[in-house]
Amino acid sequence: MNKIFLLLTLYFLALLNTQSHSQKITTSNTGTVKITFINTVKGQPLALNTGSYTNPFGEAYTVSKFKYYISHVSMAGAKGDVNEVENYYLVDESKPETLHFSLTINAGNYNRLNFLLGVDSLHNVSGAQSGALDPLNDMFWTWNNGYIMAKLEGRSPQSKLVNNKLEFHIGGFMGENNVLKNITLHFPPGKFLNIQPGKTSEIMIEADIDTWWQQPNDIKIAEHAVCSSPGQLAKKIADNYSKMFSIKDVVN
Amino acid sequence: MKCLQIIKDILSKGSKPLSKRSSCKGTSVALGVRSRIIILLSLCITLCALLIGASNNSPVKFADGNLPDYIEFKIPAGWPKPPTNIFAKNKLSEQGFQLGKKLFYDPRLSKDGSISCANCHQQFAAFATYEHDFSHGHNDQHTSRNAPALFNLAWMTKYHWDGGINHIEVQPLSPITSPTEMAETLENVLIKLKSDTAYPKLFKAAFGTEEINSQRMLKALAQFTGSIVSSNSKYDKVLRGEASFTYAEENGYKFFKANCAGCHIEPLFTDNSFRNNGLEINTFLKDYGRMNITGNPKDSLKFKVPSLRNVALSFPYMHDGRYYSLGAAIEHYRKGIVTTQSTLDPLLANTFNITNAQKYELIYFLNTLTDTSITRNPRFAK
Repeated sequence: MNKIFLLLTLYFLALLNTQSHSQKITTSNTGTVKITFINTVKGQPLALNTGSYTNPFGEAYTVSKFKYYISHVSMAGAKGDVNEVENYYLVDESKPETLHFSLTINAGNYNRLNFLLGVDSLHNVSGAQSGALDPLNDMFWTWNNGYIMAKLEGRSPQSKLVNNKLEFHIGGFMGENNVLKNITLHFPPGKFLNIQPGKTSEIMIEADIDTWWQQPNDIKIAEHAVCSSPGQLAKKIADNYSKMFSIKDVVN
Repeated sequence: MKCLQIIKDILSKGSKPLSKRSSCKGTSVALGVRSRIIILLSLCITLCALLIGASNNSPVKFADGNLPDYIEFKIPAGWPKPPTNIFAKNKLSEQGFQLGKKLFYDPRLSKDGSISCANCHQQFAAFATYEHDFSHGHNDQHTSRNAPALFNLAWMTKYHWDGGINHIEVQPLSPITSPTEMAETLENVLIKLKSDTAYPKLFKAAFGTEEINSQRMLKALAQFTGSIVSSNSKYDKVLRGEASFTYAEENGYKFFKANCAGCHIEPLFTDNSFRNNGLEINTFLKDYGRMNITGNPKDSLKFKVPSLRNVALSFPYMHDGRYYSLGAAIEHYRKGIVTTQSTLDPLLANTFNITNAQKYELIYFLNTLTDTSITRNPRFAK
């Protein structure tokens, strides 16, 4: 009898919890964090089309497109408190307005940022989407459905493709072809992000294309100038680019 | 409703154990009056909570106070529930359906304005391409697979012969942008729709505002194609007791149940799985089917099991339309199966012994699967 009562109480608490969980953060105890992405090659700001770069294997290349999905952004503090926002962002070097976005976060001290590099598997199978996930953004495979999580296009004299094309469309969300990457970026030692009500703090993140070619997998343009479907090559490139992010600065 | 049954169980006299319903928890408790009241109370609160939750999901009233005329998607009696509800996040309405129909028949979705969805999905052919192995796309190019018939799509979770499409809403992106089909960009399609005088009003009627975007266009198309349900053939009428088979049809049905129903499961006449049915590979196309999508060698030469409903109209048969008659398709199973392919479906490992009489009786039966309630229905016509 008592057991039943206890179970029911727990059940109602759980029910109440799911009801309140769906409510948006509306308390005044929140601040804003602006997250900015700075795309670079070896630390130098990326210049689409005009910049000439060399990868670790001495292969020259230019970049004409550089885009990637950021989702499920959360901030975490020393106490383990996490604020997750499910929103989806497509960072596109050719559109300056996509290089930064702002989140509403509960006030507090945070020492790291987490996000998913890519689009979670559920949203790869959920039909027609809008906003950052609109197929108009040219990041959705129409013949083998799924999102391109990251895209790097350009040219290289080492490419054996037509017009020396370089074309990395990295995707795959199922089973062993999954290229989704959970990224955690710790702020520099001793640095905290102190979110205060009504204030805007900033995080600057650098994304370095130079990481795409090496560690743990050697990707030589002469051998692989194109990747346009899920599989082993896509996974290798994703393993490399999962290390492209670093915290450049944190401003309270 | 299960919950009603539970309430009845609880209220029933004699402290009846809840063992039947609570067996999932592995407990069987004899309940006193107090606990029965508590449980009943809790059920009421749960019901209220669920109702509140449901009202949150109900469609937002349009800004002008109007609402579209919502339609209930009806599952034919005795049919399985669709594995997913394709209209869960795309509430079916008359206005959405009509917009989807207009889009389906609109050739402006193609690059040169000459090809609509209906070019390759003809109503009189159960929305397949009549008498064509490969359909004609942009600039008279051929597609590389036979256009599938369109009906009972609500029971599928994967589309295309290789299952590369994982949701009905995103399917149109493939033919619209394919260079050999409609050869258009999504961006251009939206520009054309926005510059049209009729479309903004139709989008408003279906979705509340005149905004035209890819999501709305795709959802409207899914409302039209997802609504095409074939469940009214002679076969269906026989099962409902409204008609009867001829002697030959009856024999054909028996043969079908004994030999074909392993893959073509009633009432959908497909299990929507991917299988290798032992076709000699087409050396020009070199089409490995499902493996192209999964990258898994075990999926080599596997294609989606097509429904046999309306099969008399959807010829030619197979993913490459190699057989132009039902007789030719049956001959494949009689003596054409290539048994050396490692991924050949186990159900086809042994050759079928089919007499000529059985073959023709089977054809008689398959002809009873033709459903004029979709092929001649003005509701689905242009």
